[in-house]
Amino acid sequence: MRKTTRFGPFFLGTSLLALMIPGTAAATQVHVPSEGLYIHQIAHLFFALSMAILLYWLRQRQLVRERGWRLIQLAALFFIIWNVDAFLVHILDDRSDLFRTIDAGTWHASIEFERKVELLALFYYLGKMDHLLCAPGMILLYFGLRNLLHEAQRHPESHGITATGDEHLPPSPAPDRSLSCSDQG
Amino acid sequence: MSLPLLPVWIADLLGSALMCCFALLAMQVATRLRRTDPNNVVWTYLLWLCYALTAFALSRSVGHIARRLLLSLGCQDLWRSLQPVSGAVNSLLFVVVASFTLFFERVWRIYQEILADKRALQTAHGELLYLNRHLERLVEDRTRELSVSERKYHRIFETSQDLIMVTAADGLILDLNNAGTRMLGVSSTAQAVRKLRFKDFLANETEWDELAARLMRDGAISNAELRLQGLDGRSFPALTSAKAEQPEPGAASAGIHFLIKDISKRQVMEKQLLLADKLSSIGQLAAGVAHEVNNPLGMILGYTQLLIRAENSGTQRYDDLRTIEKHTRTCKAIVERLLNFARSTQTLREPGDIHQLIDEVLNLLKHSLEMDQIVLEKDYDARVPLLPLDKGKMRQVFMNLLVNARQAIGKQGMIRLATHFDADRKEVMVQVQDSGCGIQPEHLNRIFDPFFTTKATGDGTGLGLSVSYGIVQDHKGQILVTSAPEKGTTFTVILPILTLETDQPS
Repeated sequence: MRKTTRFGPFFLGTSLLALMIPGTAAATQVHVPSEGLYIHQIAHLFFALSMAILLYWLRQRQLVRERGWRLIQLAALFFIIWNVDAFLVHILDDRSDLFRTIDAGTWHASIEFERKVELLALFYYLGKMDHLLCAPGMILLYFGLRNLLHEAQRHPESHGITATGDEHLPPSPAPDRSLSCSDQG
Repeated sequence: MSLPLLPVWIADLLGSALMCCFALLAMQVATRLRRTDPNNVVWTYLLWLCYALTAFALSRSVGHIARRLLLSLGCQDLWRSLQPVSGAVNSLLFVVVASFTLFFERVWRIYQEILADKRALQTAHGELLYLNRHLERLVEDRTRELSVSERKYHRIFETSQDLIMVTAADGLILDLNNAGTRMLGVSSTAQAVRKLRFKDFLANETEWDELAARLMRDGAISNAELRLQGLDGRSFPALTSAKAEQPEPGAASAGIHFLIKDISKRQVMEKQLLLADKLSSIGQLAAGVAHEVNNPLGMILGYTQLLIRAENSGTQRYDDLRTIEKHTRTCKAIVERLLNFARSTQTLREPGDIHQLIDEVLNLLKHSLEMDQIVLEKDYDARVPLLPLDKGKMRQVFMNLLVNARQAIGKQGMIRLATHFDADRKEVMVQVQDSGCGIQPEHLNRIFDPFFTTKATGDGTGLGLSVSYGIVQDHKGQILVTSAPEKGTTFTVILPILTLETDQPS
């Protein structure tokens, strides 16, 4: 026998009670400034994750046997490191208790810190030079694409891609160039 | 402790410039790459990824450069108002680039499937092109092969020495080969053949019902022995195999294929083999008996002659002893012939003229033939070559045949001697034909049996034809007989032309 629960009267009663006792309306969520930083940080992590997945597929499909794809794989690796670096530096940017920027906005600006956080400060200082990671990534991407272009121009029939790793695909049928005849004597 | 930020700014500015530069270059290369094969979905994907990365690189680099410039120029307020917009656009472009990147696996799979389909299409296209270009030649080749095949099977059908026949399910003859028309004595025209039924050629017509029932049940019959009768009245035993054809879809009934072999000759050969076997057994038995009887007979003859020597002639006792001596000699002669028959003395063949050999025998019998007024006719074939013969034994053969002919004629008659050379079969035939009393049909099968004789006691031993049969067989030949009572008998000796070295037909 099917057991049924009747929630209708309960919801109706609750709704009527809420209308009779009105309070502060909270229909639209208010965004705080830190929300932007969180989104930015999450975007960095998403960027890094997608590059890691690309790297995995390039290796899994054995495309990295070719120079062009291998360079693109290295570009993906640099972008991953860059994203992690940027993520950590953004966290340290907010730590005014550890680092202080003197003469900010001028050409002789500097970072001041206590000796006890010397190593962290050094990482922060180097980490701020994140273009040392993302620019090589872009350069490697360029060279990778250029290599693929050369290969495609050299072997047009292979479409510049020879390594597939897709054994699951159906093989193309072998040509049979004879007329079939079932009543051959 | 402090670290200067100038190197960071320099790296920031230079790095941003490099990012812009290489992002644009990468986009340009990706565009060229796509142009090499606009249908390649991977190249399209890479181009779009480059668009996203370029947008990201430009947005970020421009933001960084603008920040440095605005801060250096003291426009902190302006930068403060631009900074959230720049950061938001950057975040958005990160997500766009990441989203594009995640599509790689799907794009790659689609590309592989397209590639496989393309390969299959190219193969099919190539095959169609090949067929279009070579169809005429391929059809010609196939037609030629079919024609050769058809000729081959037609030749087998036409040249077969056995009857091959196709009939409808009710036995109506649809096709019959040449051997069949010969065997059944029908006209070879297709129209004449197609009016006949196989049933009409069965000596016992009721066998057809049984045959049809077996074909219906088992689908085939194998080596069934039937007796057939041709339209010319010739009756012969035949080994019949048949197979019912499976009906075509939509066809009312199927045909039957027959393969029929005339086994009359085989049956004759089987009878001859049986006879040879019987002769061999009797010969062994007779040789044993003759050997045992020969010595006592010698003793009886010796003692009888001793007694004759001691007896005066003219007395009753002398005449009785002479009678004993005469019959003992007869017994000894029989025993000796029996021993000769049984002993497998080696046949020594040398080239000889068969005509000369027959004439030598005739010279011996000439006087007695003339006495009985028997006319002798000779019809010798001049083409008969020299034959490898054991002359002594062959003389005995012709002597037996001629003596039998003379005895069958009695007084007044004719003996005809004829030879014939068959170059195709490489055989020589010698016929001894008489106009005597002939042989009764029931005796024909027994005339070569040892001791079988229809002559009166004392006139024949019944060994002559047996011995002759053995001698001719030693010469790899045959001895045949045809006879009709009161019309005469014909014995035919067939001798193959053998080479002395191999004893094989030359």
